[in-house]
Amino acid sequence: MNRLGRYTARRLPQTILVALAIAMVNFVLLHLMPGDLVDVLAGESNATDRAYLDDLRRKFGLDQPLPVQLLSYLWRVVQLDLGFSFRHNMPVATLILDRLPATLLLMAAAIGLAVLLGVVFGVTAARFVNTAIDRVISVLALVFYATPVFWIGLMMIVLFTIELGWLPSSGMATIGGSASGIAAVLDVARHMVMPVLALSLFYVALYARIMRAAMLEVLRLDYIGAARAKGLTRGQAARRHALPNAVLPIVTLVGVQVGHMMGGAILVETVFAWPGIGRLAFEAVFQRDLNLLLGILLLSTIMVVTINFLVDLLYAWLDPRIELS
Amino acid sequence: MPSMSRRNFGWLAAAMVVAAGIWLSSTPTWAQPAAKRGGTLTYVVFPEPPLLTSAVHTAGPTAQVSPKMFDGLVTYDFDFNLKPQLALSWQVGDDGKSIRFNLRPGVKWHDGKDFTSADVAYSLLKVWKVAHGRGRATFANVTDVLTPDANTAILQLSSPAPYIMYALASMESQIVPKHIYDGTDPQTNAANNAPIGTGPFKFVEWKKGSHIILERNPDYWDQPKPYLDRIIFRIIPDAGGRAAALEAKEADLVGMSIVPLNDVKRLEALPYLAVETRGYEYLAIVSYVGFNLEREPFKDVRVRQAFAHAIDRSLVNRLIWFGYGKPATGPIHHGLVKSYSSDVPAYPLDIAKAEQLLDAAGYPRRANGVRFKITHDYLPFGEQFVRLGEYLKQALGRIGVEVEIRNQDYATWAKRVYADRDFDLITFFANNASDPVIGVQRFYWSKNFQPGVAFSNGAKYLSPEMDRLLQIVQAEPDEALRKAAFADMQKLAMTDLPYIPLTHLDMVTLYNKRVRNHTLTADGIHANFADVYLQD
Amino acid sequence: MPGSTHALSSHSPPAAEAAARRGFWWRYRRNRPALGGLLLLCAIGTIAAAAPLLAPFGPWDMAGAPFLWPGEDPAHRLGTDVLGRDIFSGLAHGARVSLSIGLAATCAAVVIGTGMGALAGYLGGWMDAILMRITEVFQTIPPFLFVIVLVAVFRPSIATVILAIAVVSWPAVARLVRGEALRLRRTEFVQSCIVIGMTDRRIILTQVLPNCLAPIIVIASVMVATAVLTEAGLAFLGLSDPNVMSWGTMISIGREALRSAWYMVALPGVAILVTVLSLNLIGDGLNDALNPRLGAD
Repeated sequence: MNRLGRYTARRLPQTILVALAIAMVNFVLLHLMPGDLVDVLAGESNATDRAYLDDLRRKFGLDQPLPVQLLSYLWRVVQLDLGFSFRHNMPVATLILDRLPATLLLMAAAIGLAVLLGVVFGVTAARFVNTAIDRVISVLALVFYATPVFWIGLMMIVLFTIELGWLPSSGMATIGGSASGIAAVLDVARHMVMPVLALSLFYVALYARIMRAAMLEVLRLDYIGAARAKGLTRGQAARRHALPNAVLPIVTLVGVQVGHMMGGAILVETVFAWPGIGRLAFEAVFQRDLNLLLGILLLSTIMVVTINFLVDLLYAWLDPRIELS
Repeated sequence: MPSMSRRNFGWLAAAMVVAAGIWLSSTPTWAQPAAKRGGTLTYVVFPEPPLLTSAVHTAGPTAQVSPKMFDGLVTYDFDFNLKPQLALSWQVGDDGKSIRFNLRPGVKWHDGKDFTSADVAYSLLKVWKVAHGRGRATFANVTDVLTPDANTAILQLSSPAPYIMYALASMESQIVPKHIYDGTDPQTNAANNAPIGTGPFKFVEWKKGSHIILERNPDYWDQPKPYLDRIIFRIIPDAGGRAAALEAKEADLVGMSIVPLNDVKRLEALPYLAVETRGYEYLAIVSYVGFNLEREPFKDVRVRQAFAHAIDRSLVNRLIWFGYGKPATGPIHHGLVKSYSSDVPAYPLDIAKAEQLLDAAGYPRRANGVRFKITHDYLPFGEQFVRLGEYLKQALGRIGVEVEIRNQDYATWAKRVYADRDFDLITFFANNASDPVIGVQRFYWSKNFQPGVAFSNGAKYLSPEMDRLLQIVQAEPDEALRKAAFADMQKLAMTDLPYIPLTHLDMVTLYNKRVRNHTLTADGIHANFADVYLQD
Repeated sequence: MPGSTHALSSHSPPAAEAAARRGFWWRYRRNRPALGGLLLLCAIGTIAAAAPLLAPFGPWDMAGAPFLWPGEDPAHRLGTDVLGRDIFSGLAHGARVSLSIGLAATCAAVVIGTGMGALAGYLGGWMDAILMRITEVFQTIPPFLFVIVLVAVFRPSIATVILAIAVVSWPAVARLVRGEALRLRRTEFVQSCIVIGMTDRRIILTQVLPNCLAPIIVIASVMVATAVLTEAGLAFLGLSDPNVMSWGTMISIGREALRSAWYMVALPGVAILVTVLSLNLIGDGLNDALNPRLGAD
């Protein structure tokens, strides 16, 4: 653990610097957007009084010069204060914490499913390389890989909700339902099926292809040959020696792709009215709710950095030969 | 019977009465007997309301959700007659400079405290006049609110303001509890997200991005109403998703045309769904094309007339609004019968005429067939405006005008058009409200050229003659004279053409047939839903 | 799309070592799916290039009755959209736009990424540290969200869409090239170049970059595909250039009519699918053909 400790001590300050840099980039970028929250609020409410708009700007601190706003923002971030969303009339932190679990659930389930199915399909394809099974899996993987996520989502609603009536079209749970315990869990599970599938198919395809390639590569290595020479069957050799090594690239990828998946989550949350943070961020862009948007961007940065960090540790644990650099 | 002389509420009331005139001919559904108690109504709104009380923010979705929790002082029946709600009766002083409300006794806030005149005084003076987008203007003349006893509130006015009587519905001016708001900033009070009202339904839960739950207020003053046990407002961002929820019977009602319009006919054909286009009378929404009169080609009225001849308004109504509307003849919605006039210059589709006008204006086709290039900024409020922009590009291309469409979000649009004035041609829609003085005058009045304020006189149309006519309609008590001035105003608007009115829009409410009584008044689904019940 | 290069190391034919001695094209041609992908892409490219000749109408012409189903009217074989625009013409012109966006965004990303990566990897030291921190900043912000913000800030137009996609795509290239440059720097031929006093610039341009070319080409083919998908996602959210008909634009137009006329969304969806598919097959083929060593280890 000493090795990991030193690694952590070295990475942490760097990470904090990167996070602050990102906060600054975001701040400057977002303030380049034309128009502000007051324009949006006024447009929505048909307010026609200049003085009223000026009052609101003063109240929201939008009348301050930009450098002053930036400094006070950074100062707040350092104190771990994400500020107040005037649009939602709530502290940003509360708002984010309220919406984050839905997205985490969606993403965790999608990653889990993608890794599981990806590994199964990848290993199967490698096991039956160049047979019909391999080809079917490869073609399916390519098709899923190439299909826009929102398109799959829309098509699934038509099929599973409208035509077959099996699954609810949208939302995260039956609203105001009286279900509790197991029934409540099942209710959420039913609502999750389509969004999770829509979000994960791309990654299932990706991981299946990687897994297949990695398995084939590992199976050709010397020590597998040695293992087989020791009398292990092909399947045993694959399970005990090849699989753990072939999983490594997927572990790395999951880390890299957490941020990428959040993008997919925006689309999926839109299609399925999933009350997550992706949609919240998307709406914050158009409502010029900059405190909120900055908060979400900062949080997702921290999330990505943390997960990458964990992945590095996991990687080192899976393969002790790897140097943490 | 509450007394209020015609003279006192004057033109505004008159216009409102007529606006709702169409109502009289239709059979009112509320006449059905035996409303059933119980059940949950699922109602889809989008976008998500920013707050849950229109006392501080009058966004459209807020105006749909909040009246279920807050009653207004009064409400309005089909012909815009005032009906008692929290106020039992009212008298306007002979000089028009005081309005006395006798409040309903025994009404409780949802937290059990008594509703009193102090709440009315507080809401008007400290909330509507300060934190309400339109309230500042509406209640500008109110100098004080006297509260001689708990059930009497007397508005003191610096000068008569009859329109105040028509701004008292719940969706516009909600009374908030003084004991919750006093001493706080009304704009950021936590109760804006979890309201305590006096209305038929109580706030239960708001799960942001997902839903709002309200439950029946058992202590509501108008027993046995409300009939419903609960109302669930669901927030569904995708238009197709909203339609799917209705089709799958997951939702009961969607208003304000937020389902894909091309899909309405198909949905209406389902045995359990139906369409209602009434209940939006007071909105009277019209879509317009607007010119930047500060820019070169549009300074010439012939260019504007050529554009009007090149745009096929009936095609726009048919293809883009799927027939939910009428091709516009003039700037005022045809539903506003007391002010609407059809005696205006017409601009039928006529490409040859349009080309002639452009030639005459000094913009001949050049070698490449193009006369001049312009930009077009559509109002980014939904797909219809995108389609409209695409159509305009085609239609104007036919007369040699090359159009570059610019896509942007609302805040960018508003800033570009109204603050930076960096535009040639815009499209937008706006509600005419219950009277053109509120809803239409703002686009034509020189005094409402206010850079930085959206939906003001963005064209920068400055006409002394127009100002003169608008002053007449603002002040003239005589209906006939007023209507004549309105007719002249519309004639002038269609002669000078700072805007081309395109469509008088119908809004669509799509609902499950088990929902009864959802549209009883001119404010339709924006009412308090105390009368709504479910009949399976 | 960070990391998708990993997807490309597909299996190699058994006779790879022998194959390595033969030409690139010979090796590529033997990979039948890759050949199929190339033919598909050529077909799409031809349609794109010849769109004005092939398409009976302009992509925006309201040429017929709206909501015509494919096959319903011989004048509009693939039907018409909500405003009566010919869908086949839209697809043909859309191929131009979607492919151009993909290519342009990828070119920009490759140029930025290669520059950053080569400098960082070859020069090392503090230069490497700074450039890699910058890369990290760009890689850490969720890419699609970043694209949305960029497009919203600079207003949706074809140029901003290309730019935004490039901005989120280059870090993957930079990391790849940096790794290659690090490796190449230690090789004998680069070391000897340093010894004979070649300038850094010359070494990077003549020695390092040409040797990075193979993996860059492979990653680029997949990036084009990803860019096409990203553009479609943006269009779905209403963030596209309303003056050009891309496949994403077609999907966003048809989206509201999904229930009554699903073909409006399905047809451009299939076009995207086929294009992305062929680009991926090509990427696989290139990977195998350019890295004959892979199978020989």
